[in-house]
Amino acid sequence: MALLFFREVAKSYGVVPVLKGIDLTVEPGEVLALVGENGAGKSTLMRIAAGLAPASTGTMLLDGAPAPGTLHEAERAGIVMVHQEFCLAPHLTVAENVFLGRELTRGLFTDRKAMEVKARALLAELGSDAPVRARLRDLPVSDWQMIELAKAFARQPKLILMDEPTAVLSATEAGNLFTRIRAFRKSGGSVIFTSHRLDEVKAIADRVAVLRDGQIVRVEKTSAISENEMAEAMVGRPLAEIYPPRRGAAPRKAFLSVTGLSAPGAVEDASLDIREGEVLGISGLVGSGRTELFEALLGLRPAKCRSFVLRGEERKLPAAREAWALKLAYLTEDRKGKGLLLAKPLDQNVALTSGAIAGAAWIDRRAERRDLEAAVERYDIRAGRLDVTAGALSGGNQQKVLIAKTLGVEPDLVVFDEPTRGVDIGAKQQIYEIIAGLAAEGKAIVVISSEMQEIVGLSDRVIVMRRGRSAGELSGDAITENDIIRFAMGLEEASPQEEASH
Amino acid sequence: MFNRLKTFIAAGAVAVAGLASPALSADAVIGISIPAATHGWTGGLNYHTRRTIDRMKEAFPNIDFVLATSSSATQQVNDIEDLMARSINALVVLPFESDPLTEPVKAAKAKGVFIATVDRGLAEEGIEDLYVGGDNPQYGKAAAEYFKKKFPDGGKIVVMRGIPTAIDNIRIEAFNEALKSTKIEVLDMQYANWNPDKGFEVMQDYLQRFPQIDGVWAGDDDAALGAIEAIKQADRKNVAVLGGSGMNKVIKLVQDGHDMVDADIFYPPTLIIPAIELVTMKYATQAPINGRYVLGSPLITKDNAAEYYFPDAPY
Amino acid sequence: MTDMTATTAGVAAASPGRSLVRLLEAAGPLLALILLMIVGSLMSDSFLGAENLSNVFTRSAIIGIIAVGATFVITAGGLDLSVGSLSALVAGMTIMFMNAAAATLGDGWLLVAAGIAFSLAIGAFAGFINGFMIVKGRVEAFIVTLGAMGIFRSVITWLADGGSISLDFSLRDAARPIYYGQVLGIAVPIIVLAVIAVIGELTLRRMRFGRHVAAIGSNRHVAFYSAIPVSRVRILTYVIQGLCVAVATVIYVPRLGAATPSTGLMWELEAIAAVIIGGTALSGGFGRIWGTIVGVLILGFISNILNLTGFISPYLNGAFQGAIIIIAVLLQRDRAQG
Repeated sequence: MALLFFREVAKSYGVVPVLKGIDLTVEPGEVLALVGENGAGKSTLMRIAAGLAPASTGTMLLDGAPAPGTLHEAERAGIVMVHQEFCLAPHLTVAENVFLGRELTRGLFTDRKAMEVKARALLAELGSDAPVRARLRDLPVSDWQMIELAKAFARQPKLILMDEPTAVLSATEAGNLFTRIRAFRKSGGSVIFTSHRLDEVKAIADRVAVLRDGQIVRVEKTSAISENEMAEAMVGRPLAEIYPPRRGAAPRKAFLSVTGLSAPGAVEDASLDIREGEVLGISGLVGSGRTELFEALLGLRPAKCRSFVLRGEERKLPAAREAWALKLAYLTEDRKGKGLLLAKPLDQNVALTSGAIAGAAWIDRRAERRDLEAAVERYDIRAGRLDVTAGALSGGNQQKVLIAKTLGVEPDLVVFDEPTRGVDIGAKQQIYEIIAGLAAEGKAIVVISSEMQEIVGLSDRVIVMRRGRSAGELSGDAITENDIIRFAMGLEEASPQEEASH
Repeated sequence: MFNRLKTFIAAGAVAVAGLASPALSADAVIGISIPAATHGWTGGLNYHTRRTIDRMKEAFPNIDFVLATSSSATQQVNDIEDLMARSINALVVLPFESDPLTEPVKAAKAKGVFIATVDRGLAEEGIEDLYVGGDNPQYGKAAAEYFKKKFPDGGKIVVMRGIPTAIDNIRIEAFNEALKSTKIEVLDMQYANWNPDKGFEVMQDYLQRFPQIDGVWAGDDDAALGAIEAIKQADRKNVAVLGGSGMNKVIKLVQDGHDMVDADIFYPPTLIIPAIELVTMKYATQAPINGRYVLGSPLITKDNAAEYYFPDAPY
Repeated sequence: MTDMTATTAGVAAASPGRSLVRLLEAAGPLLALILLMIVGSLMSDSFLGAENLSNVFTRSAIIGIIAVGATFVITAGGLDLSVGSLSALVAGMTIMFMNAAAATLGDGWLLVAAGIAFSLAIGAFAGFINGFMIVKGRVEAFIVTLGAMGIFRSVITWLADGGSISLDFSLRDAARPIYYGQVLGIAVPIIVLAVIAVIGELTLRRMRFGRHVAAIGSNRHVAFYSAIPVSRVRILTYVIQGLCVAVATVIYVPRLGAATPSTGLMWELEAIAAVIIGGTALSGGFGRIWGTIVGVLILGFISNILNLTGFISPYLNGAFQGAIIIIAVLLQRDRAQG
């Protein structure tokens, strides 16, 4: 008998359907992956299964009995959910968090020692040696994820729901988690998880269910479906080449040349050329100073430099607002924290930067509305209604709004910092087209990205950062993932060109 | 969070340093604990306290004074504890409220500190060595007598209460008691916090509500000043305004024959002066000093206003 | 996960079942005010009288004008606890200035104009100092303005020797019309409040500056990364607050002709309460001046009704006020969640 059985389950908010006619079963000892684009309904389905949100219609059975309708009932029935956002208390210790709400007691008091011993064991099973007495706030995010997972396993559930469990984990940590999941499966436990990484799905799941527009469009054994087929099922059409065609190497005019740029604690003595009509890729490990380099260049953090030649004219480093006025634009990697006002309507977001640079004292609301409509058309922003807030859009559409906002100042240089983070495949492709289109117009483009394929696929030239300096430069057909990694890890000497500038 | 904490600690340290600054070689240290200037009367109290301390210091350089002003009863308890840490010989205290301050003052007494209470007594008898007080029941009674005399055939009056405290209750109780079985009708009582702005607003509303008002007891001269402006604005005639406590501005009005204000009740913040002076004398002259001194709260009228008028005081 | 829930919330708000909720969000404070006025008119015959309404509007003008400034500060994510003390300080210093300047400027409109200019200058300066300390000194607004609150209050107490500072009786006639005067039958303070409210609403809603204020309150980092002059705008909100306090003081001084250490006591809380009742988010990012004015009137009418009816024990006045404030905010709670 199936552990979890969904038949014709539907969910709508008001009149808007989010899930339609979901049929799904999960067997005991099975790992099921849910994949789909942002907004396809994965999270809603998980929330219904976890008792966090009631289904509008449909039958749900757990072990043949009606499935629990509230979070507490679900927990008692052996279902726990590991959220993407952490549900942990930063000021409590690791052990206290693992047993939060389920404290082990001895008499009237909590049994700290027993909890610490057990927490250590639970974490060890996940390959984590996070100190159980440390307060959570002192630990890195990857530890948090492990603690969240340990907390889930501590409940000894029958079914664990994991929403993007590997998003903040390193490859090793993800491997440890998979080992733990396999052990859990062996002991009869079931797992439903979501992931954007299709290779992970292939590696760990027994079956995969693909969601699109609130419906399950395909359910297969993972052995019977390729990653490419999964991706095609997600977008609902064959995937063409995702990257735009490469433009041939050509001599290009320097737009901005900087030498000896330093920002305290982040960038040391960096020099680079940014050229018109060229996509310059910036790679490097997290913490190598990629973002900081361009923040320093555009006045967003304190910095100094030896020379700053813009459009052939020497000048000093610009301040933040000056940079915008000089038509140098920076598109932040932190969309929610630095990019968009999530609580504000779309038209205000789109108008924000251009209004701050060159707007009149009085606001022309009709013009803002027209600009938004134009942006929706041009960047294919899918919002349904235009009077919703930016926070109501999916990640990909938010990113397009951010692009519209940034390009609203008609910049000559655009620095795209992680332009496709948290964006699904369909939107990714569109963003690549926008970037290529800008380069074709002769704009100077910089793309900072952690995704190696993105750097290789988009860039005409690549600078690899390492410890606040440029560690190497590659261009044209010489751009390969292998070389980028070697530079990023410090395995290769700097290129001759790089040395010449020192 | 931590930064905020640091700020508080720093502020506390500065305050402690300030408290500890007077020279330690004095013959006697007198601690004085009074409420902070939250309304006109306490403002006057602070003024007279400081002036008296300055005068005493000049006359008797060997005696030191430590003054603490508190904005609540709880703070006053803390302040008295801090004064004790300064090893004072005598404590002059005007208690915010009687009950909460009884224990800390008793504790000070047990350590051999000479206790002088001012204005309000403590909840327990026999703690203080010296008591200089005003007569709060008489205050309420004097107001009632004024209206009785003013309207022998009966009249309609409205009342403004003060800040909700024990003294306010005592005064109002005595006032009500004295008006029992008279023809004076009290239309309503609302709190005006002894504050001119609040007095203005409450009076405006009274005037809207009651077509006939013969008299107002504003409870305090500050509130009375507000009431006067409201009556003036509404252009109502024949409303008698009585305040209380003897603010010089109001006594001047009485003296000059104001058309609304023809009396005031004496209850001046100056009663702190004899208390400080007497305690200082005890240490300056080694004279034995104790007992109870109660200053009356007589009605001030045009005839005797000159006796109570101190044009230079701020209150 | 976030994307999903956010999407549904955004779409759900548009569905017809929730239009009532939307209406409450938008007009909540106004509904509360209307309810309150119905209650008032049922309980007292004189409540709806022209004179009573004029009284309440006129006295609400002082807090109202301060609250307009507070709306700017709070919308930008700031807080100013010093407005009450600043009112007392500005009032006291203005009175001292006018008493001293009467000898040279006479006792006519010239003196009044000079007094107004003086008070605006002090208010703007104090606001600038607050803003500068908060923005450039990077000290939390709560701490800076709490400190300023104590400083202003102590300075006025010191200047007044603990008593009051009175405008010379010979000068009162010149200043009196500012509070007691009427234009076309409408009291001057009401007109001033209306003008300032309209200017404030237009500035906050229709001007670039207002947009920037809301953007900064919504997310200061986003504002900075969007080329908004964050520091300048933040400091300016405190200057606006200072100016509003000064205007309110100009109206306040002629009322009783005196400033005391108790002048403006708790005004900061009344102003902040009015702003929040009016639907401005305490955490910043969204503000509306008309709501603030409605909030001020709600506060004004509550105490007016209590004084007019005496239907509950005066001991419970505070409880009644508290309940009304909570209900007024409850009526619009949904927007706060979104």
